[in-house]
Amino acid sequence: MNPPSSNLSRRDFLSKSVAGAGAGLVLGAPNLLCAANADGSDKIHVALVGMGKQGRVLFEAMSNIPGLHFQAVCDIWDYNLKGGVAKVRALQGHTPKGYMDIDEMLATEKGLDAVVVATPDFWHSPHTVKCLEAGLHVYCEKMMSNTIDGARAMVKAMEKSGKLCQIGHQRRSNPRYRYTLNKLIKGNKICGQLTNANAQWNRSLGASQDIGFNKKLAIDPSILTKYGFKDMHQFMNWRTYRDLSGGPISDLGAHQIDIFNWFIGTAPKSVFASGGNSYFKKREHFDNVMCVFDYDTPDGEVRAFYQVLTTTSYGGGFYEAFMGTQATVKISEISATSAIYREDSAPAWDNLVDRGFLVRKPAPPKPAATEGAVASYESAAPEIFDLPGGFGKPAHQPHLENFFDAVRGKGHLNCDARHAFESEAPIFWVNPSALSKQPIQFKTEHLSV
Amino acid sequence: MSTEAEDTCCARKSCCDSNSLALVYASLLARLWLAVRAIQTGVEKFSGTKSSDQIVKVDGAPNEEGLTAAGSLKVYALDNYHGVPAALMKKFEAEPLMMKFALPLYDKMLGPALILLGVGILLGIGYRTSLFLLGLLYISLTWGLILIKQDDGVSWLAAHMILIVAALALAQYNRLAILKKW
Repeated sequence: MNPPSSNLSRRDFLSKSVAGAGAGLVLGAPNLLCAANADGSDKIHVALVGMGKQGRVLFEAMSNIPGLHFQAVCDIWDYNLKGGVAKVRALQGHTPKGYMDIDEMLATEKGLDAVVVATPDFWHSPHTVKCLEAGLHVYCEKMMSNTIDGARAMVKAMEKSGKLCQIGHQRRSNPRYRYTLNKLIKGNKICGQLTNANAQWNRSLGASQDIGFNKKLAIDPSILTKYGFKDMHQFMNWRTYRDLSGGPISDLGAHQIDIFNWFIGTAPKSVFASGGNSYFKKREHFDNVMCVFDYDTPDGEVRAFYQVLTTTSYGGGFYEAFMGTQATVKISEISATSAIYREDSAPAWDNLVDRGFLVRKPAPPKPAATEGAVASYESAAPEIFDLPGGFGKPAHQPHLENFFDAVRGKGHLNCDARHAFESEAPIFWVNPSALSKQPIQFKTEHLSV
Repeated sequence: MSTEAEDTCCARKSCCDSNSLALVYASLLARLWLAVRAIQTGVEKFSGTKSSDQIVKVDGAPNEEGLTAAGSLKVYALDNYHGVPAALMKKFEAEPLMMKFALPLYDKMLGPALILLGVGILLGIGYRTSLFLLGLLYISLTWGLILIKQDDGVSWLAAHMILIVAALALAQYNRLAILKKW
């Protein structure tokens, strides 16, 4: 494929880079970058960098997308590398080239079009920048980096190279999320005035334990040192180390705080966080974090509360809820736990149901009256509705399809690095707020590239 | 005019013919039931689900976001093959008496074996031997279910075994066989 051109103009880039003006201006409209496939071939030659758990999830999703040729696989762990090569061979019938070192791969492989990066967070920025500078389009997992400067470098590299860089906030391409925002919250304003948002990722203690490994398969210590890991435990559990990741608030929270910023359509003006090591005393990152973002929107102020708890699964796992004066939209990647609740005082939605915007869910049984409860204090139970459909693909597939469509010049990225940065920038300030036990009022330098 | 002795003999013959026909029918029913049960159980191991790709219409037009109709379609494909259900496989793997090396092989052969034996019984190819082998297969399943304390499943399989024994006992009344030997 010939080098594609970005349709993000220099003027657009400069206007978005102006201090203080960048954040928030384009959060709601991230479809700016696309590329053209000029060689007439629909085949995209892809390298997979990082074939750990997340790399395999992305590969499984990509295996459903036609027109991809997996040319090379790169991972510093021989175990992951062999497994990745075998998976690619099983899919496409011939063996891709395997590399332990990304520099060697970039120097050796000819004809690559795109790279999918699923390495630990502290490697995202160096790997993405290298690949963009090598003239390749990049799909990189979120969080963009473990540092805000690393994320800034990715935006600059994307815009300097003119290549595509999609960040793996996969909900941005999820039809259910896109429909909810475009058709329900914006199109029909079903929430009324949006006043609050609430999201969480509560994960059980069992699922939050350290990841073990077979000592026979351990990586040579010199290789671990070369790639920034103190030992094999750190390699397997990089998410719990401050120099290697942002901890649970970025690892899990980034997905959902991104939805706050996308749906609300602007950047927050402040964050106030609290966190601590409630159970995992030796971990460098907080195991439980709660935070509140404040937003100013044209319709009024919005407060968004987020919690990530790694010591309990209570409370419904993970979801995002947007609460307005007329309705609450509760959405999650799991459709079964998503619903839309109409306030009793809101106008009836019969017309929306008749036109197919929503379907009515059966009302839950009314709880029996209990002694001691004062009935007049209770609000009437909201009616419950659902989306009129879903989508039957792996969660990451639509976002990857969007990336490869853009590489072919057939679409625009749903979450390019600049928009991802604008959405992620506030997240970098959650841990500092929790550590200092002080709210942070965002200024230009907090949120701009 | 027939004598009293001749009448008695005729009555007996008629009675024998009537019983024989009933036993032929009994054999045929047992044969069909066991064949259908085995073949369809084997075929189901190749079933899977495919999500609907029908775009939902909103306000009279297909929605731009790509929401598809909820629900899924049942489809059959070689790629869907699953011999032993994953949930049971994990339980079997945890059993100390289970021969771990044999599990993957058993998993691979279970579906095809059920189909082949079912077809053998349906068409009457080595009818008695096919029934015997199907009985052995059900015994192997029974043993596995005993290990993981699935008593309901054991009872179901016991009902199958009774039918196999009945079919074998009635095998002399079996008709319409392609290969009568064995």
